[in-house]
Amino acid sequence: MNPRNVEQVDALAAEYVLGTLRGRARQRLERLARTQRSIADAVRAWEERLLPLAEALPPVAPPSRVWSAIISRIGAQGSASSASRPASVGWWRGFALAGLAMSLALAVVLLRGTPERAEGNLVIVLAGQDAKPVLVASATRSSRYLTVKAVAPLNVASDRALELWMLPDGGNPRSLGVLPGGPPSAIARIELPATADQALQSIPALAVSLEPAGGSPTGQPTGPVLYTGPVQRLY
Amino acid sequence: MRSDPATQLERNARLMALLARTALKDQQAFAELYRQTSPHLYAVALRILREAAPAEEVLQESFVNVWHHAGSYVAARSQPLTWLTSIVRNRCLDQLRRREVETVAMDDEEEGVAIAAEDPTPLETLLSGADALAVKDCVESLEPGQKQAIALAFFQGLSHSELARHLRQPLGTVKSWVRRGLERLRGCLDRAGVTR
Repeated sequence: MNPRNVEQVDALAAEYVLGTLRGRARQRLERLARTQRSIADAVRAWEERLLPLAEALPPVAPPSRVWSAIISRIGAQGSASSASRPASVGWWRGFALAGLAMSLALAVVLLRGTPERAEGNLVIVLAGQDAKPVLVASATRSSRYLTVKAVAPLNVASDRALELWMLPDGGNPRSLGVLPGGPPSAIARIELPATADQALQSIPALAVSLEPAGGSPTGQPTGPVLYTGPVQRLY
Repeated sequence: MRSDPATQLERNARLMALLARTALKDQQAFAELYRQTSPHLYAVALRILREAAPAEEVLQESFVNVWHHAGSYVAARSQPLTWLTSIVRNRCLDQLRRREVETVAMDDEEEGVAIAAEDPTPLETLLSGADALAVKDCVESLEPGQKQAIALAFFQGLSHSELARHLRQPLGTVKSWVRRGLERLRGCLDRAGVTR
């Protein structure tokens, strides 16, 4: 193969991705792709063309021993207990992740053009089970306050309150306080125990539960969890 | 994972975020990435390798690799699922190559090309995938032999000589079906704007 022959390179890249390029020819192209940008680009372009076709295959759930083997091989410890059960991540995580795509999109819209962006932001878009965003919490990395804004109407009875929680990786929720009532567009400032960067360092998600007025009497959520959202670090 | 473009965009954003967190050694994100993509990737491996044990091994190796090298994923250059699929497919094809070396002395007829009588056939699968990607016209524009050879090579990992045996055609004929089919597909997909 002459790497400068564009047509030949492209044809070989196509058969490489299709899988019909075999044996030493395959190894040779792989080796060249590691050092020559034009060959790597040709391979990538063919991957973009052909590999999406694989999505037509009906999915097949692999046996659980595959995940166990992966976890033991990467030497997972600490949070391994939660990571070893990917299908049954706690009560909140499922729907915290469900809202991620939408919250990413919304976060981008919200942060576009804001001056804080250069410094880096943390954004949490809290959504209900229908994945519709209801509250947006954000802070700059060094801020000690979380700004919480309602982006949809909140209907909370007068004897009830919404309480905001941090959901640590593998521990009990920790309260950030009760959200003040008020008009839907009101912006609340919630004090954090440290700078946002530190306070939310090992916090994958936040949640809001419905509590008696004044907040949970037990220090743990007592009412239903209404909204959750992953902590996104945009820096 | 067939879906409309908006759902695909959402999925890509989600997978990119999970890959980014995996690169930072976030096990929760890695577990979620596995949960969301392994059924798709396992199906790819199973179809090419045709047996559960080697397919499981490839899946395991691929994810261990992803854990260590998620940082090398560069979002701007490849879709996340494409990147993951390429890792799994390349490992499958490596396995096949090793098998070819090991079985080269075995009876060719007996070894054969045992394609499981699965439903749907590779060709149907190719067409339904094409449908999902709105490039159905491109695949449809291929000649029947080209279409079939490409589907069998792509989904079942057949080599040129296996294609020739399976399709009962001379080696030169299937080679040119594959080559011309790919050229045509490229022209059509590029016109449709599939490749950025």
